[in-house]
Amino acid sequence: MSVASSWFKNPRLVKKIKHFHDHLKKNDGKIGTYHRGIELNFNNACNLRCKYCFTNSPKGDHVKDFLPISKLREIADEADELGFIEWDLQGGELLLRPDKLFEALDAIKPERFYLYVTTNGFKVDRKIIKELGKHGVSRMSVSLDSWDADFHDEMRGRKDSWKKAIQALEYIQEAGMDPYLNVTVGHYNAKSEDLKMLLDYSKKKRYRTLVNVACPTGMWNQVHDVVCDEEDIKHIRKLRKEYKNLNRNLWNPFDPKLEKIMGCTTVNRMYITALGDVLACPYVHIKIGNVFKNTLKEISDYGFRIKHFRNYSEKCLAGEDLNFIKKFNSTPGKTIFKPVEASEIFSKEDFVD
Amino acid sequence: MKNKEKYIDIFVKSLAIDKKKFSEKLKYNDIPEWDSINHMTLMSGLEEGFNITMESDDIIDFSSFKKGIQILKKYKIN
Repeated sequence: MSVASSWFKNPRLVKKIKHFHDHLKKNDGKIGTYHRGIELNFNNACNLRCKYCFTNSPKGDHVKDFLPISKLREIADEADELGFIEWDLQGGELLLRPDKLFEALDAIKPERFYLYVTTNGFKVDRKIIKELGKHGVSRMSVSLDSWDADFHDEMRGRKDSWKKAIQALEYIQEAGMDPYLNVTVGHYNAKSEDLKMLLDYSKKKRYRTLVNVACPTGMWNQVHDVVCDEEDIKHIRKLRKEYKNLNRNLWNPFDPKLEKIMGCTTVNRMYITALGDVLACPYVHIKIGNVFKNTLKEISDYGFRIKHFRNYSEKCLAGEDLNFIKKFNSTPGKTIFKPVEASEIFSKEDFVD
Repeated sequence: MKNKEKYIDIFVKSLAIDKKKFSEKLKYNDIPEWDSINHMTLMSGLEEGFNITMESDDIIDFSSFKKGIQILKKYKIN
């Protein structure tokens, strides 16, 4: 028995998705300045110690801060007015404090959005899935690093985390939510047999696979050799056509030929931290505003004045574009909680008039 | 339905399925290719193929190949 209906049973959301679909059609398949989603680091505490964590959670960075519910409510109302489609609630690991998570979900009013939670799966069981369904969650994304359980556990810093993640996906599917297997792909694994086995598994189980390319940020700040090269990217595009259940945030999700790229989604999918800072995306640690000082509209307008975020880019700026990475996204000591100010890193020439 | 061949063709191409896998009994979520994301691709294929703009309610109600035939009648696609 399903605990959550899929997005297309929700008329309000269907209208928004249809609007987005029509926008892409009119805009030559490119995302432009469309408000697609909000990625919220509601709290940064985590039970795992991932070697490449982009939020520096293993270092205990701001693990006690939560974005206040009253502010969240306000942001969600404005996001709805602006036509934002989806929210990705993430951490840290938000299932460590389900009480707080449920409060956040209710504040967002899930009937207006496609709402999902990204998790390491460790705390997922049937009971919590049922509760999340009641609170309007349509999709759960579970991160897996490898088909090799030992390797995954080593990367995640905790025994049994692979087993728990695999089990979590089973529970999510059983409950009728959209199960997403999230995998990070870098130069180190793009063409590996291990990745192939993971993708085979996801397809066989009828999950969706979300491919995130490895980004040299957070614990991987300045580790540029993880970045996929052009051959790796070509290979990933080939996998898109081969597997058919693969997604990347910059791919056009409505293209039946599985070829079109709508462009890098910086600002389109802005990232809000528990301190209220708004970054261009989870992996571009450049601050474009703060929700305690600015409205989302002001933040979005400012972000899209920056040419790099406004102009179409076939490459993910944080994970594929080494020029952008080296010039703007490699500042030592920069984290999601100590981002670089856009006004400091960019010069006048980087802004549109 | 006069346009049945075209309708089937759009189904097969939009969901990127093998024609052998196609059946008129096909329902949403019966096969991995017809999931919530590809549903919108299918709607897009129908809009382009028949030069129509579908209402949100029809996108929601479009739960099977057969139901689709009824819905398309509203848009004078017979």
